[in-house]
Amino acid sequence: MNGQIKFILNGKDVVYAGSAAARLLDVLRDEYGLTGVKCGCKEGECGACAVLLNGQLVNSCMVAMGFVDGSIVLTIEGYKETARFAALDKAFAETAAVQCGYCIPGMVLAAEAVLAENPHPDEATIRSGLSGNLCRCTGYNAIVKAVQAAAEEGAGLW
Amino acid sequence: MVGGYIPFGMQEALEILAGGGCVPYAGGTDLMVKESAADTRYVFLHRIRDLKCITVDAEYFICGACCTYTELLRSRHTPAILKEAISQIAAPAIRNTATIGGNVANASPKADAALILMVTDALVRLQSKRGVRIVPIKELYLGRGVADILPDELISEFWVPLSRARLPYFYEKVGARKALAISRVSFAGIADVSGGRVNHVATAFGAVEDVIVRREEIDGMLTGLSVAEAQALKGEYLAAYDAAIKPIRGRVSAEYRKAVCGNLLGAFFDSHIK
Amino acid sequence: MKAISESVVKKDHKEKMNGSALYVGDFPTEGMLHGKLVRSPLAHARILSVTLPDLPAGYFYVDKDDVPGENIVHVVQDDSPAFADGEVHYIGEPVGMLVGPDEAVTAQLAGAVHVQYEELPAVLDMEESRVNFFDYHYSRGDTAAAFAEADRIFEETFTTGYQEQAYLETQGMIGVFDASKVSVHGSLQCPYYVHTAVGKVLGAAAAGVQILQDYTGGGFGGKEAFPSFLAAQTAVAAYKVGGRPVRVVFDRREDMEFTSKRHPSKNTYRVAVKDGRITAMDIDVRFNSGAFTTLSPVVLQRGIIAAPGVYNVPNLTVRGRAVKTNTMPTGAFRGFGAPQTFFSVEVLMDHMARALGRDPLEFRREHLVKQGDLTSTSGIYHYPVPLPDMISEVLEMSGYEEKRKQYTAPQTGRYKKGIGLALWFHGAGFTGSGERDFIKAVTAIEKTADGKVEILASNSDIGQGIKTTFAKIVASELGIPYEEILIRNPDTDRVPDSGPTVASRSLMVVGELLRRAAIKLKEEWKDGEAQRVEEHFAEPDFMIPFSLEDFHGDAYPTYAWAASAVEVKVDSLTGVNEILGCWSSFDVGTPIDYNVVVGQMEGGVLQGLGYSSMEQMAYDEKGRIRNNSFSDYIIPTAADVPVLEVQMHVEEYPFGPYGAKGAGELPLVGIPAAFVSAMEQATGKEFSHIPVKAEETLDV
Repeated sequence: MNGQIKFILNGKDVVYAGSAAARLLDVLRDEYGLTGVKCGCKEGECGACAVLLNGQLVNSCMVAMGFVDGSIVLTIEGYKETARFAALDKAFAETAAVQCGYCIPGMVLAAEAVLAENPHPDEATIRSGLSGNLCRCTGYNAIVKAVQAAAEEGAGLW
Repeated sequence: MVGGYIPFGMQEALEILAGGGCVPYAGGTDLMVKESAADTRYVFLHRIRDLKCITVDAEYFICGACCTYTELLRSRHTPAILKEAISQIAAPAIRNTATIGGNVANASPKADAALILMVTDALVRLQSKRGVRIVPIKELYLGRGVADILPDELISEFWVPLSRARLPYFYEKVGARKALAISRVSFAGIADVSGGRVNHVATAFGAVEDVIVRREEIDGMLTGLSVAEAQALKGEYLAAYDAAIKPIRGRVSAEYRKAVCGNLLGAFFDSHIK
Repeated sequence: MKAISESVVKKDHKEKMNGSALYVGDFPTEGMLHGKLVRSPLAHARILSVTLPDLPAGYFYVDKDDVPGENIVHVVQDDSPAFADGEVHYIGEPVGMLVGPDEAVTAQLAGAVHVQYEELPAVLDMEESRVNFFDYHYSRGDTAAAFAEADRIFEETFTTGYQEQAYLETQGMIGVFDASKVSVHGSLQCPYYVHTAVGKVLGAAAAGVQILQDYTGGGFGGKEAFPSFLAAQTAVAAYKVGGRPVRVVFDRREDMEFTSKRHPSKNTYRVAVKDGRITAMDIDVRFNSGAFTTLSPVVLQRGIIAAPGVYNVPNLTVRGRAVKTNTMPTGAFRGFGAPQTFFSVEVLMDHMARALGRDPLEFRREHLVKQGDLTSTSGIYHYPVPLPDMISEVLEMSGYEEKRKQYTAPQTGRYKKGIGLALWFHGAGFTGSGERDFIKAVTAIEKTADGKVEILASNSDIGQGIKTTFAKIVASELGIPYEEILIRNPDTDRVPDSGPTVASRSLMVVGELLRRAAIKLKEEWKDGEAQRVEEHFAEPDFMIPFSLEDFHGDAYPTYAWAASAVEVKVDSLTGVNEILGCWSSFDVGTPIDYNVVVGQMEGGVLQGLGYSSMEQMAYDEKGRIRNNSFSDYIIPTAADVPVLEVQMHVEEYPFGPYGAKGAGELPLVGIPAAFVSAMEQATGKEFSHIPVKAEETLDV
């Protein structure tokens, strides 16, 4: 058996000494102060708490810390430093895709996951890729358009 | 470590389970919805390579219990019928962590991947420190939420007969929306019709009764018949299911569930028994 | 497009995009106490006793006895207690609050508070209610005579269900009481509503009340009145513990079950038709108010004023009741009473047209109101009614005529399609004289000596983009770059009361005040000097004063207009419907930022589609809401509506800034009727309720 949980959080090695049964969502917000990770339901039904775990989109409310051991976790706070974020940022700004903003950190990481898998997605692929991230404000059009625009203008980044 | 163990190999995991008091943690997507007790100890299974294999041999599609839906969707070995069901489960973030083993172990009648394992008569390989047993998946289900898995056992693999998994199929999931939907009714049917004969028919109905419905004896009515004979038996076949299925009421009515089952069964029959 | 309509980067884009914006749940919790409400498990009961578990040091129980002022949360009337006093009236009514340093322990202790009840009879069904909180009547013309002379009389009853706002951020507040001043900040739409409510519960105990809005993760009306309750309760707790902040953030299930939602309704229409023309309507509207009055009077007013739709009905009798039941008090939700009645009248127009053998669109066109016509309350449509042009726009966008014809032919096969259309308006701003008599909005612009300009208004940006549009208006008048205009989340210590963020009023009313203030500041501008200009609301003089006594006069200065078509496909094997597309034309006057307005329209349309097709919420035989999670209360995902197109039609309103009218609520209002119209064509059935369930469209 092993001792502490080690993982890479936003590019930095971290050691978590708390319970392996704790929720990643709570640990990110409470232990590491990463409040860009939002809590919308704690039941895996809204995507507001989505982060990238080893490059894959996961709902951090559905992940216990033991599962994170040895992994790479990227939250919006780490992702915002990247060129890919800059491309999405510009596109989201130009379509006014951000309304209340609460779904946005999760949505942006979902967009990253879509583009990482398919740099030139069609609209249906984008909609399906974002389908686990609820947004109650926008009707999704502006967000979908923003992801399309980022894919076009950010050519080569993904 | 407080709250759990992270074994690196199967034997280590089985040792821990044999010690008692632990809950196996595969993808976590069902476990984490429940408020866990403060002293919960999980055995995290994601590091165990044996539980992650996806392969085919001459007879079976074999996948480890801890394969995530995403991993199964990406593999060229995964049968089309299983991919179709999995692609309609939840949304990407869930598919990235939820596992096929968890889907089966929870013994929910709404489990969409389990429905495919049922219709294909897959085998389940269970391991414990005491040894290995292999059981047909249907025998694993004892009731709603109750699977015949002992506290020291882990599902290690599923073996899906290729002779079944590669048959023409009909799959429908009825949900309340196009993504993030829990099945209100799900149906899978496979049929082997060749040389004018019905060699094999299997159906499974999800989210209808306490366990996934798989009635070999009813489907068996059609086996060995000529297509014409089978078609003549359509009314009887549908009636047999109509009498057999006892739907529960939930977010949708029992009557609705039953009617949809009949409609989908009829559509499957018309499109595949010919 | 006017220059002001050209889109900019939203004021709050950056911090929301990169996750640094602090919502109420994001504030560091060190040193904070957590509050957990103890709620009634019964729909109606007398409280016999409350027994507390052993409370460890640092844990407190707060209830009615701790309220230093009045145990009343002021909304419109004063009937709702902050904490139950002797009796509970719905499941979830707060009895008390457990407060303590550890969140989990606090929740556990809250669950261990033992309240002994004597159960009393509960009324859950609207039909069985014997209490009308409000019972309004109005009429014009001679309805009885018109019915006597009619050659056809139609009668139909329509029902609509709950709709939950389902904002992504749940309700939350943080309150602190320090040196006789209470400060509360949180997720809210209306800082001054909360200010009044907190002031009332604390009374003389608080020399000062300060309310601040945090970044707010959506409201849609759900954070109009409800935050007054949570803030009042939190403030009382903060007063009791003294000095330390108390934080109450709801979890999703708590939020879905125990916060206000759209009023369920039951509306009976009788219509007299003579020679193919509608001559009279006799309308009976009933809204389920739940256990307290909260916003029901104003929701009901808007609902009944909209009851005859966009049609000229010469003789009209309308009754509207908001009835009491032992259920969660209902409240504001985008559209505010109008979606219920517009659904009813628009579906009725389809049904009548069908019965009369008329094309539903032609039948509508023949009855449309136009500029100069009387409104339902004998006010006047003072400005042009652009519906005929907007209908044409929607027909072209949607291919309505061809599809309608195509789907009328018998459809074979598994899937059946249909397309339908609806027309509606939304009265811009407060109903009646509220703006003039109650709100009396004041707004200000301040300039520092070094030339920094800041907007001071109490309207909150809840995602609708008011920071952006306000700043654009002021920048445009002052000739200063938009990026340089400051606007912060409102703090009642700093901003005057420019009124609440409701009724699609902020931009039209307060935006215009800011425009005038900016003009004034520009005229008075002195370099190197700190300056402040204020602007006060004045009602435009063209208005016919509205009387609530007899529902007479201009209920609204102007109207935003809408036409929308919805196309559906129904699976006859499963009854499941799929929305193939929705095409709409909206007139909200001049868009003050095209992207912002289109975003409002698209978001509102999707909420309307959800309301019609999948958002189902019901209570059980005990009165407990069953659909209390995102897996049980289904709202649309990105995959559900692939085509959602919006076109802006501009009919300027001279008293709104640059011709702008109210916008936010409009897009949702009539969507359910267009959806049902499409469903009726696809299935050949008639529906008089929403949501339409798959169960009802099986085997079509």
